[in-house]
Amino acid sequence: MAIAITNLEKRKINILNYKNFIKFIFINYFFLNIPAYCADNGKILAYAAGCYGCHTSNNNTPFSGGYKIKTKYGIFISPNITFDSMNGIGNWDFKSFSKAIAHGIGPNGKPYYPVLPYKWYKDLSTKDSLDIFNYIKSIPQSSIKQKPHNLYFPYNIRKFLWIRRILEEKLFKSQIPVIKNKVISEGAYLVKNVGHCGACHSPRTIFSIVKNINDLSGRPKSNNNLNDGAPNISNNFNKGIGSWDELDIVFFLKNGFKPNGDYVESHMSSIIENGTSYLNENQLYAIAKYLLSNYNK
Amino acid sequence: MFKILAILVTVISIFCGNAFSQDAENIIKYRKNIMKSIGNHISVIALNLKGKVDISSDILPHSKALHITLAAMDINKTFPEGTSNNSGMKTTALPKIWEKKELFIDKMQESINKAKDLVLAAEENDKKIIAKALGALGKSCGNCHNEFREKKN
Repeated sequence: MAIAITNLEKRKINILNYKNFIKFIFINYFFLNIPAYCADNGKILAYAAGCYGCHTSNNNTPFSGGYKIKTKYGIFISPNITFDSMNGIGNWDFKSFSKAIAHGIGPNGKPYYPVLPYKWYKDLSTKDSLDIFNYIKSIPQSSIKQKPHNLYFPYNIRKFLWIRRILEEKLFKSQIPVIKNKVISEGAYLVKNVGHCGACHSPRTIFSIVKNINDLSGRPKSNNNLNDGAPNISNNFNKGIGSWDELDIVFFLKNGFKPNGDYVESHMSSIIENGTSYLNENQLYAIAKYLLSNYNK
Repeated sequence: MFKILAILVTVISIFCGNAFSQDAENIIKYRKNIMKSIGNHISVIALNLKGKVDISSDILPHSKALHITLAAMDINKTFPEGTSNNSGMKTTALPKIWEKKELFIDKMQESINKAKDLVLAAEENDKKIIAKALGALGKSCGNCHNEFREKKN
C-alpha cells in the first residue's frame, strides 16, 4: 500500500516541524507497508538531487566522495557520505542529516560551503529527506578518507561563511509562488528543491549568492579557464528554452539530446546520466510543464 | 633589385596565406556540415522516439546514414592542422584535438562503435532498445565534445 502525499502536503511537512514529523514516521512505519517504496524513492531522489553525482568520483565506490568541483574560489572536494563511522557519516542520525542538507550546518555546528545547495534542499519534504537518508544508509560503506578542499585565501577560512550566510539571508529570494496546478507544482518542486537547477542556472551576485530561486535565466562563466557557466532555461522563446516543447524536455532529461540533435555538453551530461534520467516519465513531464509555464519567465 | 624581391615575397606570402585561410575556412564549414548532418539524423530518430511523428520505418535508414557518416570521416583531412579555435576562425575545435590526436581518434572510434550498435538496435525495431542505444551514442558524442569542443557557456 503506497501513501499518497501531494506536493502541497509535502511542503507542509517542514523539516523542523517535529510534530508532523513524528506523526509521519508513526503512520509510515507502523501502519503502512512502504519500505520498498521508500528505497526506490530514496534512490531516485539521491540520484536526481545530485547526491550520487557530486559525491562519487569512482563508480565502484559510490557516494564515497572525491569528486572535484573547480570554482573561482578554488577546488572543492566532496566528502564521503556513506555510513562509515570513521570517514563517512556513520554517526549521523536523521536530525543531523536534515540539519546538514536543509541548513548547511554540520553536526559539529560548523557551516558547510554553499557548494552544498542547502538553500534549495531547505524545502525538501521530510518524507523525501528521510527516503534519501535511508537509501544512503542502505548502500555499502566505504572507508575512503577524502582530502580537504583546496581553496584560495581567504575563502579557505570557514568562519567567514557566517558573514556570507548573513548576506545570503538578506539577498536570497527563496519564496516560491503558490501554484494551484498539481502537475506544475510537482514540477516546480523537482526543479527548485530536488534538482536545485538554480544552483547553476540562476544568476549570482556578491559571494556567489543566488538572487532569486525563481530566476533560471542562466549565468556566464566566471572566466575563460572555468567551466562554471550555465544557459538560460527560462521559458523565453529566444533566450531560453521556450521554443522547446514538453516532449523535447522529457527526451532531453532522459537521453541528453537537444531538439537539434546535438548532445548536451559539460556538467549537464553527468547530471542527466546520474540524475534526471532516474526520474520517471511523469516526473519529467511535470518538470517540462513547469519549465514552460509562466512561473518560469 | 632587393626591393622588387621583397615585394614579390610579400605578395606571394599574402596570396598563400589567403589561400590557406580560405582552405581552412572551407574545411571548418565542411566539418560543421558533417556534424550538423549527424545531428539531423539523430533529430529524425529522436522525433520518432518522442512520438512527435510516427514514421518509424525511417529510424533504420537514418541510423545507417549516421553510422556511415561517422565511419567514413577522414580525420586527417577533416581536421587538418591549423584549424582549431586558436586559428582566429569561427570554430569550437580545441587545439587538444591535435595535441592528443590518438585520444581523439579513440573517442571517434567509440562513437562509430556506438553508431553501429544503434543500427543493430534499429534492426530490432523496438523503440526502448533504440532509445537506449541512442543514449549510449549520445554519451560517447558527449565524451568527445567535453574533451575536444569549446564550451558554449
